[in-house]
Amino acid sequence: MLNTEQHRKIVITPWMIWLAFMSIILLSGLVAGILVLWKGLSITNLTDQVPWGLWITIDLSSIALGAGAFSLCAGVYLFGLKRYQPIARTATFIGLICYTMATLSLILDIGRPDRFWHSLVYWNPHSLLWEVTMCVVLYLTVLVFESMPIVANWEWLRKHMPKIAKMMGGVHHYAPILAIVGLGLSSLHQSSLGATYGVIKARPFWFKPELSVLFMLTAIVGGISLTLFVTMLSSRLTKKAKINDGLVERGALFVGYLLIAALYFRGWDALAQTYVYDPGRTEGLLYLTKGPFAFNFWIVEMLFGLLVPMVLLLYKPARTNRFWRMVALLMVAIGVVAYRWDTNLTGQLVMMPYVPGLPITYTSYKPSIIEILSGAAIVAYGLTALSIGIKYLRVVDHTLIEEAHEKVQVESSEPVRI
Amino acid sequence: MASQNINRREFLKLTAVGVAVAAGTKAVSTKASSEAPKGKHQWAMVIDQSKCTGCEYCTRACQAHNDINPEIEWNKVVPDGTVGDKQVFVPRPCMHCEKAPCVSVCPVKASYYRDDGIVMMDYDRCIGCRYCQIACPYDARSFNWDKFTGKNPMVPEWGTPEVERRPRGVPEKCSFCYQTIDRGLTQGLTPGVDEDATPACVNICPTGARIFGDLNDPESNVSKALRNNSTYRLRESLGTSPRVYYIPVVTPKEA
Repeated sequence: MLNTEQHRKIVITPWMIWLAFMSIILLSGLVAGILVLWKGLSITNLTDQVPWGLWITIDLSSIALGAGAFSLCAGVYLFGLKRYQPIARTATFIGLICYTMATLSLILDIGRPDRFWHSLVYWNPHSLLWEVTMCVVLYLTVLVFESMPIVANWEWLRKHMPKIAKMMGGVHHYAPILAIVGLGLSSLHQSSLGATYGVIKARPFWFKPELSVLFMLTAIVGGISLTLFVTMLSSRLTKKAKINDGLVERGALFVGYLLIAALYFRGWDALAQTYVYDPGRTEGLLYLTKGPFAFNFWIVEMLFGLLVPMVLLLYKPARTNRFWRMVALLMVAIGVVAYRWDTNLTGQLVMMPYVPGLPITYTSYKPSIIEILSGAAIVAYGLTALSIGIKYLRVVDHTLIEEAHEKVQVESSEPVRI
Repeated sequence: MASQNINRREFLKLTAVGVAVAAGTKAVSTKASSEAPKGKHQWAMVIDQSKCTGCEYCTRACQAHNDINPEIEWNKVVPDGTVGDKQVFVPRPCMHCEKAPCVSVCPVKASYYRDDGIVMMDYDRCIGCRYCQIACPYDARSFNWDKFTGKNPMVPEWGTPEVERRPRGVPEKCSFCYQTIDRGLTQGLTPGVDEDATPACVNICPTGARIFGDLNDPESNVSKALRNNSTYRLRESLGTSPRVYYIPVVTPKEA
């Protein structure tokens, strides 16, 4: 009797609520996105003085937080840390999602999305953005290949198209090569994204070489942190995620060490680089440390983005406590996003006069509701794709060992006939 | 199966391709000039601040001749304090830098140098990423947030449009009225001397504060003006080498 009743009424599961919630954000964002393509960028709060806003921050943050993929794949396939392979798989899937998120936000952001392909056809090797575009497109391709063995875990595909599933699974044999290419491309574009700002002479707050290094370092820290956080969170939310907590804990310790470097470099970059008054740069620093961004800088970036998680992850009792470890990892990821937001905007909000004798002025920027809705939808797309992956593609499953790799080695040891 | 061999071969192939691409990129980037090419003519402008009254006729003539959205000013007149009791202005067109940041950063080469030094925009190629706006030290670029439709309020009083309106989604800027220069040259006229070959802002200026001409011609108006006056350029320390020079206002005492 109980059974028949259950059959009749629709059971609302948390999964369905989650999907419904995401659908609402996605739909409102879709409407906002269509409005942007239809009406143009005039419905944003971007101006000639602040042409790069929320969407660029989402683009930068996605690429930064997607950096777990190349870092962990390099660790597993190039530096011999084989036991982290299951975590690298999670990172790869997150990377794929993050890079598609970045592409989506750029499609919204450029004034002529219909000419997106121009960036692949008309080359200006002088331009940092050209290099970033090339690397991102190529690396996205690498990520698609790297993700094929993950998609091959899809039950439906295995049942209905076993040949295709097997072929996609077979891409795993090329994992070391893909890891090398991925490491090269990522090193290039992760640092070049920093250099995109670092080469801008017109804005002294940005014009410094260390932006490349900081973007690269914070991307690796943030990317690995997000991967580990997603791993832990999904193991709490669903039985589909099976994790080896010891592995995650070791990874978290590594993040702790990286945070020392990040804190040192970020502190040095922000506080030691501007000693005497330097027009524009000093104003930017004041804006960051004492002005409207002071909370972002001191609290979100420095305290909770670097210092607190560093202590939590290096202090064993805190690190082995799953709750505090998760909190620390999440804070690192948020700190990286805050760093991108602060860096992108401070350089634009401090306006250098081109007329001699005029004072340095400040402008302001607050994203419009259209920017926020479409931006939120890009994030919602990422979260939805990630949760579907965890539920159906065994994205977080540390019991899944890639056995195919061993098999080929046996085959390859057959004697070659001359 | 010997798939390990294939792997190795594939790997070597990939490495070779990678090296070739890297080498190619290097070759291209060393060849591609980060500096304007030196053609037969090198157009430049000299603006005499002691003559500028801030009337903004230049702004309006520019908006008419180049059919610009009233919200956009290619040529902006910025008040810059006083010397004695005289208000001083800095009219700011595009600087047409010899080492233009906008040209270096454009990912698709939509901003480029002409042989005569004019920094041009290919509005059909631009993807609207706005990196040039980020990079320009002179705030000389304006983005077309909207498409400019309807009547141009500056027409016909201040001139007639000579170029197409730019589409929505690309930045635009002063072009030294290249269309006038090019047309004038084919008619055998001299830009900076003959009105029909000279930028609209220079022609309209009621006080003659703007001088235009060829830096390659030692007898041109700009060459003479540069020889006979001490001049400065905006944000010179950045090393962009603007082609727009200013003759500063000198206080009576100094004079």
